[in-house]
Amino acid sequence: MDKIILGRYLPGDSLIYHLDPRGKFLLTFYFVGIVFFANNVASYALLLAFVLFAVYLSKINFGFFIKGLKPVFWLILFTVILQLLFTPSNNPIWHWGIFTLSKEGMVISAYIFMRFILIIFISTLLTLTTTPIEISDSIESILKPLKRINFPVTQVALMLSIALRFVPLLVDETTKIMDAQRARGVDFGEGGLIKRIKSFVPILIPLFVSSFSIAYDLAIAMESRGYKDGEGRSKYRVLSWARRDNLTIIFMIGLTIILLFLRSY
Amino acid sequence: MEKIISIKNLNYTYPEAKTPAINDLSLDIYKNEWLSIVGKNGSGKSTLTKLIDGLIEASSGTIAVDGQEINEDNIWDARKKIGIIFQNPDHQFVGATVEDDVAFGLENQGMPREQMIIAVDHALELVKMSEFKKRDPQSLSGGQKQRVAIAGVLATRPQIIIMDESTSMLDPDGRKTVLNLVEQLREQQDLTIISITHDIEETELSQRIVVLNDGQIVKDGKPEEIYDLGPELTNYGLEEPFSSKLMSTLRESVKLPEGYLSGRELKEQLWKLHSNM
Repeated sequence: MDKIILGRYLPGDSLIYHLDPRGKFLLTFYFVGIVFFANNVASYALLLAFVLFAVYLSKINFGFFIKGLKPVFWLILFTVILQLLFTPSNNPIWHWGIFTLSKEGMVISAYIFMRFILIIFISTLLTLTTTPIEISDSIESILKPLKRINFPVTQVALMLSIALRFVPLLVDETTKIMDAQRARGVDFGEGGLIKRIKSFVPILIPLFVSSFSIAYDLAIAMESRGYKDGEGRSKYRVLSWARRDNLTIIFMIGLTIILLFLRSY
Repeated sequence: MEKIISIKNLNYTYPEAKTPAINDLSLDIYKNEWLSIVGKNGSGKSTLTKLIDGLIEASSGTIAVDGQEINEDNIWDARKKIGIIFQNPDHQFVGATVEDDVAFGLENQGMPREQMIIAVDHALELVKMSEFKKRDPQSLSGGQKQRVAIAGVLATRPQIIIMDESTSMLDPDGRKTVLNLVEQLREQQDLTIISITHDIEETELSQRIVVLNDGQIVKDGKPEEIYDLGPELTNYGLEEPFSSKLMSTLRESVKLPEGYLSGRELKEQLWKLHSNM
């Protein structure tokens, strides 16, 4: 469980940490979008330079980003090899049955590899520098326009922040239940597929039951503290948009323009 | 003495239960008093707290909080006057950080943000948790979590604090800190404390103890009177207090005065006997 870097927050203090989470959240999505515009060596080099610059600004140890690649390593390798061997070409270097190795194939697989790296690095950067609650706050404020069509934005945001807040508690609970079941002789991760799936029942059912009891306790506690239905509430936490956020956006626009230029170049 | 809560002929039966959880219970609670409600599991203690806060609806009978009988229309006003600290600190945390959690009740009241910041800081200072303001609740110890829960209740400035077995999951140190803190606040701020427990040793700070059994009040009196019941307490599923157990053992060989003695009084008695020998 602790090996997964993507989606984890790392306390720190640098410019990237102080950016408004809404801006960071949207710009990350925006960046993932423009990665697909890159189509030659120069444009990929530009995007890579940008990502490495952002990583440098965050002052986070580069090792974390490499670790972030680990869980998807096999997926990247699989896709890259597939592209390498199955790209049709008119003048292949090597040909055997359905497999073709060619210069075009190599270029395309290199691009695919770069896309993976860029997307994983930038999303790891977002989650490492933004607390879950900041992300849920950003989602709430981004969804706010939906209020007009009677979408329950505040309730969804509360649900999201409670869900985030209970993730570590439920992970603890799961380990506790697993240990308790192990002590009673349940063997996890042994035997065939069916047997393995069956061995998870003694975890899932107690976990569901305890989730119900936590939900009940929490609902009672919330009601006793005066929570009605999300209407008429004030907000303690507010996000503030600063000059550095505007600058980041201008920087991103600049990057897009250069990218479009390099693309058609 | 002024009444803050007045309960008359209260009845409550859980759906599908055969016997009532609260059976024709009447009780007056006075301002600034520390009242302990004790009883074994299933004696109706927690049900009573939920009824007082209007979290469940009574089958019959009335509850008046601060002179006003509670009904569906004014329950939210009554709830503002009552703060409850529950048993499991993990299950009552709403906020993602300590300060967010303390602010939750204030947000519900729609308090403007500037006032909220002051109120949150003040409440955290009272429980001495200011330096943990930005922390994630999961990183705190049980006692610290419970102190944050108290801060969340204090921030809304209630007149009554109900502690529903809120120290039962803490270690002896954490329990002592929390109880002493509440006692201090009661003295300073004219609060009324209702503490619910099944551990008789936890009632040492209270001024009055009510013993509940099968949804009825079986005893109501000063701590000395209740402790004096000695072995009779076991009939209600409670343990005898330590010094009362010690005295009954000592009485087999030593002549001690009648009635209940607290730990300190017992010690003095023993010193006296020792010097007479």
